[in-house]
Amino acid sequence: MLAGVNLGPAGSDVKRPAWYPTRRMTAPGRRYFEEIEVGEEYESPGRTVTETDIVLFAGLSGDYNVLHTDAELMRRSIFRERIAHGLLGLAIQAGLLSRATQPYATLAFVGLRWKFKGPIKIGDTIRVQARVTAKRETSKPDRGLVTLERKILNQRDEIVQEGETDLMVERRRP
Amino acid sequence: MRPVSRLYFEDVVLGETVETPAMTITEAHRSLYEGLTSDTATEPGRVPDLLALCVATGLGWRTARPALVVLAFMGLEWEIVQPLGVGATIHGRSRTATKRPLREGGFLVEEHEIVDQRGEVIQRGRFSFLVSKRPTAGAA
Repeated sequence: MLAGVNLGPAGSDVKRPAWYPTRRMTAPGRRYFEEIEVGEEYESPGRTVTETDIVLFAGLSGDYNVLHTDAELMRRSIFRERIAHGLLGLAIQAGLLSRATQPYATLAFVGLRWKFKGPIKIGDTIRVQARVTAKRETSKPDRGLVTLERKILNQRDEIVQEGETDLMVERRRP
Repeated sequence: MRPVSRLYFEDVVLGETVETPAMTITEAHRSLYEGLTSDTATEPGRVPDLLALCVATGLGWRTARPALVVLAFMGLEWEIVQPLGVGATIHGRSRTATKRPLREGGFLVEEHEIVDQRGEVIQRGRFSFLVSKRPTAGAA
């Protein structure tokens, strides 16, 4: 859909076509701060992490650490094989959860506290369980902070990664 | 040929600042990242926040300092200070804040910042790692 559209660097004067959303997309169904309740739970679909995912991620990030790229060396390691980059798991998690939930009216991703607890290996199928644990008003009346607790589970229901993320979510305009 | 030089737990100097080369985040990065992960930017024309973090960790391997022998990435505490537009050029800056020897290997906490072409901090936080100790003589 966006093929051929060059937005140029941030703050540049590149003209956007008229149909291109200039600011926040106001798609219907985005959930505002007031509509999100503490205790809501979400579960994502599963996704099988493949060798291709790891190779592409190494190329994209530039992280070619042997943990992710040297099959021979890793065969002799405690993991017995190459493992996915921790941040690949974190990024796939973000994508999986976005497929599981009605989107929030998110203004910004504020931060996270995250633990890598176990390896994600080639062929593992991961999914995400998440729960809204806190909502906090901020000094700005048009937004609030939503905290989600998230877990990545593998096909054996082992928690491979877990943590909390903070999102700044728009309030419904009065 | 000389063997690749590596940095072990014992070699890590507390407080020493390490700077990475810079990289321009293009539409190709954004597109590949979004296709691979299905994680997207909050607004059009922006770099997904986690993509900047992923690129910064890759840049971290391209410093003058030899590569650290990482056994495991344990976790991170991370703050997104401001959004990044496609076309921005970022680099990383880090220093080791904590060093604790374990029976096998050692535990490190590194403070990291992602800085853009204006010198402004875009994201920052702390990474914790389990790293290898220098192999004793006789071992490979």
